[in-house]
Order: sequence, then structure tokens, then C-alpha cells
Amino acid sequence: MDRTTPVEISREGAHDVAILWKDGRRSSYAARYLRLACPCAQCIEEITGRPLLDPATVPEDVHPVRIDAVGHYAIQIMFSDGHGTGIFTFDRLRELDREDSDSPSPSGSPA
Amino acid sequence: MPADEKAILTALGKVMDPDLNRDIVSLGFVKNMKIVGGKVAFDVELTTPACPVKDQLKAQAEEQALSVEGVESVDITMTAQVRQSAPQSAGLQKIPGVTHMIPVASGKGGVGKSTVSVNLALALAQTGARVGLMDLDIYGPSVPTIMGLEAKPVVEENRILPAEKHGVKFISMGFFLEEEKAVVWRGPMLVKMIDEFIANVEWGELDYMIVDLPPGTGDIQLSLCQKIALTGAVVVSTPQDVALKVAQKAISLFNSLKTPVLGLVENMSYYSCPACGEKDYIFGHGGTKKAATRLGLPFLGELPLSTKIREDSDAGEPTVIADPNGEHARAFQAIAAQMAAQVSIRTMNEEAAVKINF
Repeated sequence: MDRTTPVEISREGAHDVAILWKDGRRSSYAARYLRLACPCAQCIEEITGRPLLDPATVPEDVHPVRIDAVGHYAIQIMFSDGHGTGIFTFDRLRELDREDSDSPSPSGSPA
Repeated sequence: MPADEKAILTALGKVMDPDLNRDIVSLGFVKNMKIVGGKVAFDVELTTPACPVKDQLKAQAEEQALSVEGVESVDITMTAQVRQSAPQSAGLQKIPGVTHMIPVASGKGGVGKSTVSVNLALALAQTGARVGLMDLDIYGPSVPTIMGLEAKPVVEENRILPAEKHGVKFISMGFFLEEEKAVVWRGPMLVKMIDEFIANVEWGELDYMIVDLPPGTGDIQLSLCQKIALTGAVVVSTPQDVALKVAQKAISLFNSLKTPVLGLVENMSYYSCPACGEKDYIFGHGGTKKAATRLGLPFLGELPLSTKIREDSDAGEPTVIADPNGEHARAFQAIAAQMAAQVSIRTMNEEAAVKINF
């Protein structure tokens, strides 16, 4: 559980997001990478998991403007392009940490 | 020479709370010590009036205090102050004045969840705790029937005054629906109802709020976990395999939403024959306890399938009220005590929720 329990979620640099996990790992997420990884039904087809979001339509400088907690298990991120329907679970966020050697590579992650 | 306070506190430091695994002095339970010559008086303030080891702690504290040189008599007052959980994440609402929200869930319907919820609430109230009961079972709201009070609550200036009986404040969807009419509502309507019960009911100060959930893992369960700060859920199951498998789904929902599960209750454990008193384990024995062990969750206790409990519920005179010293009432009271102990353990060991600085 410690792997997927965040202690603190903070800003890194101008627009990136950092998460300090209970197991001591600090993960960094580039702002646009998070937007492209949005798991909502407008961005990922519900049944097949096929990506629906065309990265070409996402502004280069897209970034989170607000982060809210959802229950004890996730956060919701409002992005500068007006998109904010994605609920990022802590399990998923840990998977999205590409430099974390223990993580399985996330499915459908942007290249 | 009067008895020495320091020496008494050192002696009391040997009294361990078995649930919290710490001594009563370092937990801050010992209060208002007064020493007059060899006469010693103090309070032991527990984290719940429903503490299952209250008498044991009192006896041990008395014994330890008496062992100190110069102490001739000891007068202990047992009190309780239900403690607040650590601050929850900002995204979760709290009902002002309500300390612990405890949903009672089941995977399958018909396992006696409402009877268990009502009796647990009443058993907690019997210990002196301030208790509320919120019936969110939209499809079969049976709390008013079991409590024996079906009059509509009073609405004053858009605030709903909860019904109150046997010292428990309660509200039910049953008050606002026409009897024998099915509820055909989509998710958003259900969520609106929860908002109403949370924001517009005059609950006052409560130590525990028991929430009777509908069976399953649908909109109500999801919304509650997403919006409200919950201390932990109680999951009710019957012993047979199929019910347990469905109960596990409810547990899995709480796990994925990171809502703690306080423990499992087995209802209809055995049929107690009213003629000969023999116990017949019609659905098999000990299934829920085994499941709890496997899942690493506390087992809170078992309840019989009994004609008496069923009759009490239907008559609007719940078992812990109808026969408070009877065998069945004692089973409910023991489960309520175990549940309250789990709440205390959670509260004392809880860590602060994630900080978001963005």
C-alpha cells in the first residue's frame, strides 16, 4: 500500500507535478505528459481502452491549473485547455512514473 | 505522608489498552487526579463509551493504584470522549458536529443489513454515545418500520428535523416516498438525496453516524466514498459461499476507493431452535470469520437467524430494546463494542491525508 499512498502532491518547476510517496519515492510528471495520460471516457474508449485523444490537438504548453482530491484514492486535475474530467487514481499515477523501475510499463501511455 | 502522584502515574503506566497497544497514561486517558492523604480519585477517559474492555481497564487501574505506597483507597470514574479522526483531504465533506461516519454495507441484499444497522446504532446509544442513523437504502428503506416510527419528520425553514426514538436520531428515504411505489431513479437523483441528508438535516452533535447502505456496489456507495469523510465501513454477510463472494465485491469497492473496512459481521450464522435450543448451522459454519482472516480484516462477531429478532424488527421494537439483557441483544452489543474499538484504533493510528500544494 505504501507504494500507492501519496504523502504530498506539489508543484515542480513552473507547471510540472511532483508526488512524494509513502515508500519514499518522489515521482515527477511533466505537465503535458499528464494531460496526454488522461484516463477519462473522452480520452480513452471505455470498453476497448483505445486512445481517443489526438496528441496533435493538445497545446504544447498545456498544464494543470488546479488539483483536487477525490475520496482517499485519486485526484482530479483541471488543465489549462479546459479539460478536467479525468480522475487519476493513485495506483495509476504510480504506474505513470516511467522512471520507477518497479512499475509495470503503463498501458496506453503516450510515447 | 500523602500518596505521591508521580508514583501512582508510574504504576498506572503498567495498565495497557489491549486494542490500542499502549498504556493508559501515555494515551492521556488518566485525568483529574485528586489526592487527599491516602485517598486517591481520578478519571479514566476512554475513546468510546462502548469500550469492550472498560471493566477490565478499571479493575487493573484500581489494582495498580492500590499497589503504590501510601494509597489507601481508589475512586475511579470511567468517562469517554470520542475522538476526531485526523484531518481528511480537502475534497471530502464532513457533516458539522458528526465525529464518525460508519457505512454498513453488504454485497447481496437480504442479509439483514438494516436490522444489524438499527441494532448497532441502538447498542451504541445504550452505552451513552450520541448516535445517528441514516437510511440510504433507497430501494427498500426499512429503518422506519424496524424503529417503529413512520411519522414524517418535521421540516422547519428548509431544515429537516430527524426523527428520534430510543435515543437515536434517524432519517430515512422511506419518510419521503409513497409506500408500495417503486423508486425509479437514475444516479444523479440518488446523489441529490444524499446531499440533502447531509446538508439539510439538523443532526446536532453525534459521536457515531451509522449509514445503512443499499446492497451492492452502485451509485450511492460510490458517491458516499467520493464525497464524504468516512471513518470506515462495516460489511455484513451470511455464511454461505455465494454471499461471501458478493461481500468481497463490496470490500473490493471500499479498497479501491481507499475507504477503510472496520470489519465483517456474520448474520444468520445459525438457526437457534426455539423448541430445543439447539444450534443448526444451516448455511455452514464460520465462513465469514475465515473470509475475514483471509482478507486481513477484523471479524466483529456473529448473529443467529432467529424468529425473535425477525419479529422484533417487524414489530418496530428492535431486539436490543425489546430484550436488552437477552442473548441476542448481547450479541449485538458485543459487535457494537468491537466496532467502536476498531474506530478508536483507526483514529489513534490514522495518518494525515495527502497534502496537495498546487
